[in-house]
Amino acid sequence: MFPGASAPREDAEYVVVGAPLDVSTSFQPGTRFGPDRIRTFAETFDDYDGRTDLHFSDLAVHDQGDIHTWNDVPDYIKHLSGVLRDVAWDDAVPLLLGGEHTVSAAGVRATDPDLFVTIDAHLDLREAYDGDEWSHACVTRRVLETAEEAIVVGARTGSEAEWERAAAGDVTVVPPEEVGGWLRAIADGERDPFSRKSTYLSVDIDGADPAFAPGTGTMEPFGLTSREMCGVVRAVAPHSIGCDVVEVNDRDDGQAAALGGKLLRAFVYERAAAQQDR
Amino acid sequence: MVTQQKQVRDLQEGGYVMMDGAACKITHYSTAKPGKHGSAKARVEGKGVFDDKKRSFSQPVDAKIRVPIIERKQGQVISVESDSVAQVMDLDTYETITISTPSDADLSPEDSIEYLEMEGQRKII
Repeated sequence: MFPGASAPREDAEYVVVGAPLDVSTSFQPGTRFGPDRIRTFAETFDDYDGRTDLHFSDLAVHDQGDIHTWNDVPDYIKHLSGVLRDVAWDDAVPLLLGGEHTVSAAGVRATDPDLFVTIDAHLDLREAYDGDEWSHACVTRRVLETAEEAIVVGARTGSEAEWERAAAGDVTVVPPEEVGGWLRAIADGERDPFSRKSTYLSVDIDGADPAFAPGTGTMEPFGLTSREMCGVVRAVAPHSIGCDVVEVNDRDDGQAAALGGKLLRAFVYERAAAQQDR
Repeated sequence: MVTQQKQVRDLQEGGYVMMDGAACKITHYSTAKPGKHGSAKARVEGKGVFDDKKRSFSQPVDAKIRVPIIERKQGQVISVESDSVAQVMDLDTYETITISTPSDADLSPEDSIEYLEMEGQRKII
């Protein structure tokens, strides 16, 4: 169980679902261990958050456990999206723990947002990778079949065709060096990318610089600091109808999992605080 | 209520199933493959045929479930009473019935329609 996620399912406002999919990881596998790593390395976090004056265990979070995976990825995504749709139909917020990034497609199908915001080192805009359109390298492209728009925060690499696709009007790329300015513009009210748009937030842990989160499949240097990632999560959380943390594997000493777990908690605290203020 | 029994594994998208006592059309059907232990489970989503309410359930694929028997009938519009109600003659029995019409339907007298009927509940399709 994710620490503090002790609310009964019927009372839950947030439901944690693990999706340990590990089929298309193209370099270092291990995302099958992601959900449990995140749960384990969240155990040391304090229940109380001084910033929002909230206790995590008071925020009606339930952990539904993992949805056992199998190799037929489209079939699994279909099933997972159904499980998450139940959460959304109950007016709760799905909190998905990956697993490879492909699982975000299920979160998006279940919540049907206008806008997909993802922290990611990679554009993930390929039509197919090695002939597989359900590869984790294609997830933002798959998501854009449901969501109208995508913002890829921290992207710093992609194929030539992906950068061409990213130049279309429905994709915004915020490169790592511009994230600070982007967040300031949102805080100052000069920019409001989420205004009146239902938003789904996906945190690919490889958006972080590998120095912060080495436990991921395809490390990409020159990434975000963990504090910048937290800033993005806090900015997006109040507008979000779903969230995931993906691409955490077991090839480090828990850095990636600890960061993933902390960002998930930051999401819940920030969203809950915003709900209380409304 | 007129229903028949089936196993959950025999359901499919587009078919009907009883959920929470209401006849529903299946909009989403998926099965979770079992792990090393345990049995395969199916997840079924549906929409109430007569109330449009969304419902879902998860059950082992070998569980038994009730499936409603819904008749599909032909009718002819006799008169349109309002935006939401029409008089329709059943083309098998020549019985005249009052039926509520979908908001997007544009009906006129003499139009041929199809409707679903189950235990006095009717819906134009």
